[in-house]
Amino acid sequence: MVNYIFDGTFDGLMTVIYVSYYNHQVPNDILSENSYQKNFLGDDIYISTDINKSNKVQNAIKNKISKEALKNIYYVYLSELESSYMLIYKYVRLGFKIGRKINYFLQNDIVNDVIKLSQRINHEAYKMIELIRFKEIKNGLFYAKIHPDYNVLPLIVPHFAERFQDQYFVIHDVKRNLSAVYDKKSWIITDISPENTLITKEEEDFENLWKIYHKNISIEERKNLRLQRQHMPKKYWDILIEKQ
Amino acid sequence: MELYDKIRILADAAKYDVSCSSSGSNRENKNGGIGNASFYGICHSWSDDGRCISLLKILFTNICIYNCSYCVNRCSNDIERALFTPDELADLTINFYRRNYIEGLFLSSAVYKSPDYTMELLIKTVKKLREDYNFNGYIHLKAIPGADINLIRLAGLYADRMSVNIELPSEKSLKLLAPQKTKESIIKPMSFIHNQLLEKSDSKKLMRYSDKFVPAGQTTQLIIGATPESDRTILKLSENLYKLYSLKRVYYSAYIPVSNGNNISGVTSPPLLREHRLYQADWLLRYYNFTADELLNEKNPNFNISLDPKVDWALKNLSLFPVEVNTADYNTLLRVPGIGVRTAKRIISARKASSLSYDSLKKLGVVLKRAKYFITCNGKYYGGCEIETNKIKNKLLPKSNVLEGQLSIFDSFYKTENNLPIIV
Ligand code: SF4
Repeated sequence: MVNYIFDGTFDGLMTVIYVSYYNHQVPNDILSENSYQKNFLGDDIYISTDINKSNKVQNAIKNKISKEALKNIYYVYLSELESSYMLIYKYVRLGFKIGRKINYFLQNDIVNDVIKLSQRINHEAYKMIELIRFKEIKNGLFYAKIHPDYNVLPLIVPHFAERFQDQYFVIHDVKRNLSAVYDKKSWIITDISPENTLITKEEEDFENLWKIYHKNISIEERKNLRLQRQHMPKKYWDILIEKQ
Repeated sequence: MELYDKIRILADAAKYDVSCSSSGSNRENKNGGIGNASFYGICHSWSDDGRCISLLKILFTNICIYNCSYCVNRCSNDIERALFTPDELADLTINFYRRNYIEGLFLSSAVYKSPDYTMELLIKTVKKLREDYNFNGYIHLKAIPGADINLIRLAGLYADRMSVNIELPSEKSLKLLAPQKTKESIIKPMSFIHNQLLEKSDSKKLMRYSDKFVPAGQTTQLIIGATPESDRTILKLSENLYKLYSLKRVYYSAYIPVSNGNNISGVTSPPLLREHRLYQADWLLRYYNFTADELLNEKNPNFNISLDPKVDWALKNLSLFPVEVNTADYNTLLRVPGIGVRTAKRIISARKASSLSYDSLKKLGVVLKRAKYFITCNGKYYGGCEIETNKIKNKLLPKSNVLEGQLSIFDSFYKTENNLPIIV
């Protein structure tokens, strides 16, 4: 009964899979060090992250299973659910057995859970791409705040970096205190975020123009707030200008 | 006049145009400019009526020389009027875009001074966006009926999509309600855009580079319920538009009584449910290989309001059912109520791994509440009643509590139905 402990990074998780494979040792559980409390019953082994091993596992997944499978695994990892690590482990094992066809096995609970969870992450990333609102906080610097349920920041930055090539921006995940910073060339994710996010008078004008637009484009005779909430869940309203 | 007022008035005037999609274009961001288009389209907000806001949908002006009876902006209507400048509108678009409020611009207009003059104003605005701001986001332009073909061609080089609204489903109704527009002034730009697209796709094969002309194609809009045409007439018209002019979408807009226009009286509330049924049927034409004649005929020219068109069709063609989910081909699966494009594909792929049980269908996203009457699973039928039209219909008809929730919609439908023979 062995538990593997790792540093919580994706490479760390891939290293765990590598080690367990070569040790022929099926883990009882896989835990990240942040949430780990020492368990007196089983053996706990700390695995330190090794980029080489991680790359080997990722390549093996890509070649022996599929790119699609690797994408699913990464998405499930971003769910940050403690149970996701073992789910990923089981999915990879199954994948090495079945190979390319794994995603046809929708009736299998492991496959089904992975695909459903991966879709949930994907869905939230898409919601963020829709609902993010930037504010100009300094001449030419745009700032947006988010607090997604899952850690979708790495999934959404490429979209904005491609779209706003001529614009400096920061997307700040306030829940995890992570910021994606783009400088018109490339982007990074760091834990440093801008201190001053107060907005100017001009910015306020644009927000008001948007509110007026939003109100007037709606047809009174067709009012349907329930449908609106289905697409724009209440939990995101605080980042939406038009809902403030 | 303040920008605030212009936006208030001209957004309000644009709201009856239902087209909102930002899909169908792959425009890339070039040379470090701003914006790109997503092929699948992105919505950024939803208005209080639950409709998606993807583009800054707005009129350039609502000052109109025409007097179409169904339209709020008709010249005889006493309302506030406003007019943008190309600079104002381009600037507004860019600023909304940078804040991720919108995917781009949908610019339409009333007929100001003349069709050509109006078209030129629209072109000026989008030219500024594309050339001065290096904007590569989505642009949908309305072709103003009656505008010179050369202007339409020019506009098409800047736009991702163009639309010419037919508005009324028959020439007779058009004559009656929009006497200044002719069938020709609508069909001519439509067929021009279509031919231009065909030409471009030919020349693309010859040359490596050719100018992009409305890469997302063209769409149109029909108003539902202001005139007496049946669902069948409308659906046949759409079918032909898809066939003859390769339209990307036909939008249906339940007529909202906007004031006491001549020739339209007695329409009290918009026939929303009828509009909904037409959208469902339109979907069946575009993605499920149905034809209009399969769905409606001369004896039944209108949709059953209490059943969706696919269920209705299946009940009328029970001899084709039940189908075996483990062996039926893709097109057959698609015709089963409760199975959509996505689930049909998932069924086909899951079948490759192992045979499907009744329980596993739920996992794949099949809506069994409907589907169970039309399928077998390894030879077994799960409907729990005889495969007989009335028996299944009884189980599928909405229960009274469902009906209550939608009563306002049904209500308005009946009212409009009764009021239909207003124009003869
Ligand atoms: S041309 Fe007719 S439909 Fe268009 S804005 Fe003028 S009155 Fe309205």
